[in-house]
Amino acid sequence: MNRAKKFFQNLAKYLAVALLVFIIVSPIYWILVCSFKPTRELIRVTPTFVPHTVTLFHYVGLLKETGFMTYFLNSIYVATGSAVLVVILTSLAGYSVYRCRYLGRRFFFNILLAIYIFPRVLLLLFLYPMFARLNLVDNLLSLVITYVGITAPLNVWLMRAFFTSVPLELEDAALVDGANRLQILFKIFLPLVAPGIGAVAINSFLMSYGEYLFASILIVSDRFKTLPVGMAQFLQQYEISWGWLASGSVLIILPPVIAFAFVGRYFVKGLTAGAIK
Amino acid sequence: MIEKIRRRVLQDPLFGYFLIIPILVWISATLFYPLLRAIYTSFLNIEFLGETGRFIGWDNYARLLGDKEFRLSFVRTLVWSGANVLLQIALAFFAALVLDLEFRGQKFIRNWILLPWVIPVVVLAMIFRWMLDPTLGVVNYVLQNTNAVSSPVPFLGSVDWVMITAIFVNSWRWFPFYAVMILASLQIIPPQLYEAAKIDGASPFQQFCYITLPHIMPVLVPVILICSLWAVNVFDMIWLLTRGGPGNATQTLPIFIYQKGFQEYRLSQAATAAVFMFIFLLVYGTIYLGTVTLEEK
Repeated sequence: MNRAKKFFQNLAKYLAVALLVFIIVSPIYWILVCSFKPTRELIRVTPTFVPHTVTLFHYVGLLKETGFMTYFLNSIYVATGSAVLVVILTSLAGYSVYRCRYLGRRFFFNILLAIYIFPRVLLLLFLYPMFARLNLVDNLLSLVITYVGITAPLNVWLMRAFFTSVPLELEDAALVDGANRLQILFKIFLPLVAPGIGAVAINSFLMSYGEYLFASILIVSDRFKTLPVGMAQFLQQYEISWGWLASGSVLIILPPVIAFAFVGRYFVKGLTAGAIK
Repeated sequence: MIEKIRRRVLQDPLFGYFLIIPILVWISATLFYPLLRAIYTSFLNIEFLGETGRFIGWDNYARLLGDKEFRLSFVRTLVWSGANVLLQIALAFFAALVLDLEFRGQKFIRNWILLPWVIPVVVLAMIFRWMLDPTLGVVNYVLQNTNAVSSPVPFLGSVDWVMITAIFVNSWRWFPFYAVMILASLQIIPPQLYEAAKIDGASPFQQFCYITLPHIMPVLVPVILICSLWAVNVFDMIWLLTRGGPGNATQTLPIFIYQKGFQEYRLSQAATAAVFMFIFLLVYGTIYLGTVTLEEK
């Protein structure tokens, strides 16, 4: 009786896990499998769930015949630039709202959180003329500037969660040794929040890498387009090629997935710590 | 002695300002400047991008509220956001409860559950458009072959289906994010509470209502707020899935503003709608935080 009950409990548990994994993985599995199918298998009325023939045809075509590589490099440039700047700004600001005492500290922190309520389209409406006046339209810098502005504020919150995990005794020890504030920040706190830097970096990298709205308006010429815009465009321009769609999707997904494999767990940790503190 | 040093070194307000000023300058330029310009422009009559416009007071707002297209897109935004919050929180709850169990590979899945969130929206939109296609899509193939439906479902092609489909796709991307946060709050509930409740004969449902729910409230309250604010703001997913169509079936406020501003170039109208949306979110956020009392630590 008891063993039967335990068996059914286990069964229910693994069914629930399997369902969750299926929900998450199935669309990604599908696109991965399709990217390796030859064209005639792709457009068959009866789809194959495991490819009968495996080919790299679509990958080769995509890289040779479209601007994919250009878009890709632009995206990497914008995403890396934003991530670096966001890390610098948020590690300073995160420490400031956590360990410094001054008038308006609470207010500044709240303002940073209130960024949630800014409609993105509203920003775009007036960032466009601003960048136009600065001669930065159709320049990847305009994207970097925008993405840093949008992603930095929330990452201050994430960074702060990591700062709170640094034991304050270390600060005391450094004080006794005669360290000043700048030394305390750079030699004690920042090395200890390396995981937080990873979490913030991946967060802003992912957001900037995949952003569509701003990139679709602020960039005009083809050679400066980032992946989301370039990809969406050439899929509409040509007669739609399912093979390119699939292989392009897989290639776009690759860098963020690799990045997440390295520092994703820190992001999860930061989200966890931020949630319960 | 340490107290003395601490007071001398740490009580320096200038240092704090010095560290936070860069980010404040940055967001003043990229967030507050556009906001102020939008508010200013909403009182001008710029009928076409490039005009200077003339001050006309509240006319734009009056005209906006009288515009049926705007009112409908506002209602759609409410439906879209409400449904997204419900679905995302429900899915996140399910995922968090599953991930709270002990099973092999639990650590791995706890990190990789964020996979949908890692993938750029444009890719997701393309994948789902393909999978949900009436003739070539795998979803319709499976549905028809299992006799669940007799003819292909036009998931993105019909006015009846498109909103529901878009809500599901968007929720699929975001629920893992909230699952991670809810899971975090589940894990700090002391297991002794459940043991004690079991001894007292509490049913699983009672345990959920009297132990789980009160404990996760401090996380759930901000999570629901963030979730709804983000849902209202969604542009990419809807635009890339449907362009606001068919007809205007998925034209929420961000889509409306984008179309007015960047397709019809009616800057004042777009700015007025955007300011309206900002004020709506501001009021909503304030009321929400005012009504739902956060437990002070």
